[in-house]
Amino acid sequence: MDAPFVALQDLRKSFGTTDVLHGINLEIPQHAFVVLVGPSGCGKSTLLRMIAGLEKIKHGRIVIDGEIVNRVHAKNRGIAMVFQNYALYPHMSVRENLAFSLEMLKTETSEVERRIKTAADILQLEQLLDRLPAQLSGGQRQRVAMGRALVREPKLFLFDEPLSNLDAKLRVEMRAEIRALHQRLESTTIYVTHDQVEAMTMSDIVVVMNAGRIEQSGPPLELYDRPATEFVAAFMGSPAMNLLRGRVVRADGAPAVDVGEGLFLPFDDRAGVREGMEVVYGLRPEHLAISPDPASGLIGEVALVEPAGWETHLHADIHGRRFRAISTERLDVTPGSRIALAPDPTRVHLFDGSSGARL
Amino acid sequence: MTSVDDSPELPPLPRDRMADFKEGVVPYLFVVPGLLLVFGILGYAVVGGAILSLNETDMFLNKTFVGLKNYRDVFSDPRFINALWRTLLFVVVSIALGIGMSMIFALTLYRVTRGKRFFRGLSLVPYFVSGVATAVMFRFIFTTSGGFANSVLSALGLPTPSWLGDPALAFMVAVLANCWFMVPFATLILLGGLQTIDREIYDSASIDGASDFAVFRRITLPLIKPMMGVSLIWVTYISFSTFDIILALTAGGPQRATELLSIYMFETAFLELNFGAGSVLMMVLLAFNTALSVLYLKVFVMGDHRRKLEK
Repeated sequence: MDAPFVALQDLRKSFGTTDVLHGINLEIPQHAFVVLVGPSGCGKSTLLRMIAGLEKIKHGRIVIDGEIVNRVHAKNRGIAMVFQNYALYPHMSVRENLAFSLEMLKTETSEVERRIKTAADILQLEQLLDRLPAQLSGGQRQRVAMGRALVREPKLFLFDEPLSNLDAKLRVEMRAEIRALHQRLESTTIYVTHDQVEAMTMSDIVVVMNAGRIEQSGPPLELYDRPATEFVAAFMGSPAMNLLRGRVVRADGAPAVDVGEGLFLPFDDRAGVREGMEVVYGLRPEHLAISPDPASGLIGEVALVEPAGWETHLHADIHGRRFRAISTERLDVTPGSRIALAPDPTRVHLFDGSSGARL
Repeated sequence: MTSVDDSPELPPLPRDRMADFKEGVVPYLFVVPGLLLVFGILGYAVVGGAILSLNETDMFLNKTFVGLKNYRDVFSDPRFINALWRTLLFVVVSIALGIGMSMIFALTLYRVTRGKRFFRGLSLVPYFVSGVATAVMFRFIFTTSGGFANSVLSALGLPTPSWLGDPALAFMVAVLANCWFMVPFATLILLGGLQTIDREIYDSASIDGASDFAVFRRITLPLIKPMMGVSLIWVTYISFSTFDIILALTAGGPQRATELLSIYMFETAFLELNFGAGSVLMMVLLAFNTALSVLYLKVFVMGDHRRKLEK
C-alpha cells in the first residue's frame, strides 16, 4: 500500500484540564474525500484546526505529504481552509479576497490574475468579482470561500462545517457542488460536519468521532451496514437505527433477545453470542417489515406517521417499546392503527451490552 | 379546496389607532425631553456665545455691539497666536501618542485571556480619576526635587531635569497627563471594535500567510475604522478642551509653554472679565472640534465598507 498522504499519529489535545482528543490515529490516502463526523464537542473541529496549524500540537504527530508538520506554520503546510462562517474579509471585494493569500505569498500579478480567473470560472464568480461579501447571498459567499481556497492550489483542502449556515435546499446543492469540485480537482479533502447525511453522501471515507476518539472509519456504506459500535449504529442513518437493551435467550429453539415486557426479538445465530449475554439489539428501520397481516409479525400500535413522499416513516409501540420503521408503500394507517412488524433476523446488529462493541 | 385567486377579498381590518399611536408616536415622546435639554443648553450656550463674541461687555454684563472687533483683537494678539500653535501642537502630539497607546492597549487587552475582566476593569481606572487629582499625581511624579521620576533617574546616576520648569519638558508632561486621562476610554472604544471581528477571519489570514503586521494593517485597521473615527473624535475633543489638568499641573507655564486655548479662554473671560474675547476663543474651539469631528465621521464612519453598501 502507498504511504498515506496525511497521517495523524497519537494526537492528543487538552484545553486546560479538559481533554478534547485522546490519541487520534488516522491515515488518509491521496485524493480521498474524508469526512470527520460526530456530535458537537466530539473534537472534530479541534482535530481539523490542528491539521490546519491553528492549534498547537503538544502530543502526537501530523504528517502531510511525507513531512512532519507539527512545527510548520499554517501558511507553509500547503493547505487551504473553508470556514463555517466563510471568514471572508468583509472590507475587501471578492477579487481582493481571492487575491489576498497570493499577495501575501508575493505571487506575480499575471499569475494572480490567472488563478483568480480559473477559480472564478470553476465557481461561476465572474459577475461577483467586484462586489463586497455583504452584497452576496449565503451560497455565493460559500462559493467565494471555496474560491479563496482554490486559488492557493493547495495539497490539502480543509472544510469546517461549511454548509451549516445555509438553508436546506442550498445545502443539498452545495453538497453536490463541493463533491463535483473534488471529482474534478481530485484534491485530498478533509471535511468536518455534524450532519451524518453529509458524511454519507459526500465521503470516500467517513470517520465517526465521539468524545475525542475515533469510533470507526471506513467507506460510508460499510459503516452503515456494519457499524463497529453502538454509537456508530445510533449516529449513522436517518431515521436512526432501533436499539434495545436485552438478554440473549432461546425462544422456541431460535436465538432471540429478551428486551423485557415479554418481547422477544429474533436474530440469526452467530459466533460469539451466548445465552445470557447482555446485549444491545439493533435493527435499521428499513429492516422492520410492515405488514397489515397480524399473523406475520409482532403486533404494534402506530404512534406517529411521517409521510416523506416516496417513503413513509412510522413510529410504532410494541409491548410498550417504541420502534421506527420505513415503508416505501403508501400506508393507510393513522395513529392508533394496529399493524404487524416483522424484524428481518438476518439484518440484526448485536452490540456488547457494556462495551458497545459489535458482536 | 379553492386556490388563493378564487378566494373573495376580505374586508380590511379596522385600524387599531391606539396600537398605531403606541408604535409611531410614543417612542418620540420619550426622546423629546432629552432632545430639548441637549439642544436647550447647547443651543443657548452656542447662540449666547456667538452673540457675546460680537459684543463688548462690562462687569455687569451690559452689552455693546461691536461687530467683528473682538475677532480682530483676538486674532492679532500674539498671545492668541502662541496659544493657537501650542494647542494645535498639543492636539497633534496627544492624538498621535494617545491613539497609538490606545491601540497598543486595546490589542493587548484583546489577547489577554486569563484575568480578562480584571485587566479590562483596571485599564479604565485612570479615566475615573478627576483631572485635578491626575494633575496632582503628575506633579508628585515630575516635581524636580523629590519627585518620583527624578528619584529613579538619580538612583540610576542619570541627570535630573526640571520637568515642570523646562518649557519643552513641561509641554510633554502635560501631553502625558492628558493621555493618561483620555487613553482608557479610547482603548475601550477600540477594544469594542476589535471584539466585533470574527476570530475565523484571523485564522483565515493566518492560513493565507499574512504576517502580524499585514494582519494589523490590511485586516484589523480597516475593520475597526468606524471605532477609530469615534476614538479620534474623543481624543481630539478632550485634547482641545483639556483644562483642569493643565491648570492644576502648570497653569499654562512655564513661559506660556502649556498655555492652550482653553487656559487662555478661561483667563481672558473669567480673570480679565473680557467675555467678548473669551467668546471668540470659544467659537474658535467649537469650530475646530466641529470641523474635525465632521471630517472623522466622513472619513472613518461614513467611508466604512458597511456604509459603502448603501450607495
